[in-house]
Amino acid sequence: MNEQIDLLKKEISKAVIGQDSMIEGLLIGLLCDGHILVEGVPGLAKTTTINALSRAIGLDSKRIQFTPDLLPSDIIGAQIYNPQNHSFSIKKGPLFTNLLLADEINRAPAKVQSALLEVMQERQVTIAEETFKLERPFLVMATQNPIEQEGVYALPEAQLDRFMMKIVVQHNSEIEELEIMRKAASKTFGEIEAVLNKEDLFKLQEEINRVHIDHEIEHYIVQIITATRDPERFGLENLAQNIMFGASPRASIDLYKAAKAKAFLRGNDFVSPADIGYVIHNILRHRIVLSYEARAKGVHTDEIISEIIETLPIP
Amino acid sequence: MNSLMKDTYVKSNLGNLSLRLLILLLSIVILHAEDFTYTFNIDKQAPYVKEPVVLTLSLNQTNHDLVMFFNFSIKKSKDYTFQRINIQESDSYHNAKVRYFYLLYPLRSGDINITFDLVQKTTTDESIAFSIAGDRDHVEGITTIDTKIDLPSLQLKVKPLPKDTLLIGDFTLTHTIKKHNAKVHEPIPMQVHIKGTGYPPILEKLLPKEGDFTRFTEKPIVKSFLRNNDTQSTVTYPIALSHTQSFTLSPIVIKAFDPKTQRAYTLTVPAQKFKIQEVEPHTLVDKVDSPDVLKEDWSWLRTLLSYILVFAAGYLTALSWKWKKRRSYKEDHPLIRKIQECKDEKSLLQVLMATDNKDLTPSIEQLESSLYGNGKIKFNKIKQDALEKIK
Repeated sequence: MNEQIDLLKKEISKAVIGQDSMIEGLLIGLLCDGHILVEGVPGLAKTTTINALSRAIGLDSKRIQFTPDLLPSDIIGAQIYNPQNHSFSIKKGPLFTNLLLADEINRAPAKVQSALLEVMQERQVTIAEETFKLERPFLVMATQNPIEQEGVYALPEAQLDRFMMKIVVQHNSEIEELEIMRKAASKTFGEIEAVLNKEDLFKLQEEINRVHIDHEIEHYIVQIITATRDPERFGLENLAQNIMFGASPRASIDLYKAAKAKAFLRGNDFVSPADIGYVIHNILRHRIVLSYEARAKGVHTDEIISEIIETLPIP
Repeated sequence: MNSLMKDTYVKSNLGNLSLRLLILLLSIVILHAEDFTYTFNIDKQAPYVKEPVVLTLSLNQTNHDLVMFFNFSIKKSKDYTFQRINIQESDSYHNAKVRYFYLLYPLRSGDINITFDLVQKTTTDESIAFSIAGDRDHVEGITTIDTKIDLPSLQLKVKPLPKDTLLIGDFTLTHTIKKHNAKVHEPIPMQVHIKGTGYPPILEKLLPKEGDFTRFTEKPIVKSFLRNNDTQSTVTYPIALSHTQSFTLSPIVIKAFDPKTQRAYTLTVPAQKFKIQEVEPHTLVDKVDSPDVLKEDWSWLRTLLSYILVFAAGYLTALSWKWKKRRSYKEDHPLIRKIQECKDEKSLLQVLMATDNKDLTPSIEQLESSLYGNGKIKFNKIKQDALEKIK
């Protein structure tokens, strides 16, 4: 089955140079039915990656550019009056897709963000009196620009919790950038072909479910999440003043699923502590709410996560 | 002028040439024009070169119906030089009487002709009245009828001077020398004064040719004025001499001739000895405003080197801070310390997992393989690899 993953990665690499962490995050999200929040400056191939992934699996993809004047009906859809037969018909919004790129999600007002995040959680949309189930798979990759903070509506922590992972996308390395430059100039990016289909994807999801996770690892996951809520219990007194709120139960679930998916992507049929180490930062980064003191000191959630990992004994 | 030869001759301007020559020989000239008469008078007929001759012209109006004026001058010539001494005029318009007095010096020997310019200007009472009536804002010249009168020239038989005569007249010579002892190249001021009556004693060259000393000369200071129909002059020659060694100024001998007394005489400045004292060259240097001794200026190199030194010191200081920071980063980086403190594989895996560093993935996988698989690893090697990747 890993051959399919390798094939998928190879196909995506025709259009996307580098950005392995983003691609892997998307795959984990796709395999775990989770959503991804990507933080990075513009121009880091976010849309390209979504499009490449959707085409490689034969899925539908759409992109919404979030703006301050966006309305919920713009993304969900609306009931439209038809004067010819004096009836209302449903016009579905761009949410009705498999892979959705919600670009600069923090530029839209809270009610639009809430509408989207509700759909992300429930995977169904209600327009007027009619409810529509969203087609599986449904993955939202939302982006945030970290450098422009004027005129944005920061996502509330409760809503951030609905994202399975928060990936910080970095610029490509110099070698990668050189390859991007040459390929873009010569227009030699390859055509993406569908190497998987939905059924293959569902099968992969089932296989992930079969990845073994030991009880000790499960306890280890719970301990990590608990340590974010009550660090003093684990001898992390110095973290207590930096954390306002710890991770939610969703974090445990997502870490559990992501660790299994990571182990699967690595070709293992069991989860090791290292798999948790690979995904822990992406899972918890946006779920730990820092205290004012910590923010004043410039403490980052990644540092807190690292300290927890270093402190808690691994199984 | 001690004595004047005065002979008067009268000649009509319509008279013949032979009569005029006869009268000139008698040194009396009386001329008669239609409306006026004129009379030339010269005090000597045969002067020496540069001997003063007093020339007088008297103009007397004979036609009293007219208002008459005259313009008279002697024509310039290289044979003589002249200077007007005086003009005497009557105040009557209808009875003009004018006398011109000139002092004239012949400049060469032999026969020389003295020529004249005379313009007769006639006008009327009305014209003068109109001219006078014009106020200061409306001045008009008197309208006259000008008639050029051809006056006969006067001839002088000029006698030559004794040979090598430089001064003509009665002169005395004095001199002043400030000092006779001086240092090398020090100027010795000297003045020669020639004073007396006669042709102004201005000499082109006063000092003798002999001697290799340095001569400093200036334009002579001349003070001249007319007195008793002759010129009284005081001429001062400022001179300075300098030399590198003692020297003797040859006597200055000036030959002179006095036409009045027919006496030839010499004016002399006797030979002068000057003693020149040797001086050390360095004492001649201006100690106050003297420039620096000329030498190769290498101060720019010293300045440049000092700049380079300062720059290098600053650069190395900055570099040393950087080295120190890097070294302290390497030594004090908490991750390095943590890795170094790891005693077993699990603790190392923990630390490496916490870094979230993709570069450490191979190390993590090796540890994972050892801990949860069948892999065999060298713990210290993995530790070292991890440290190198962090550094």
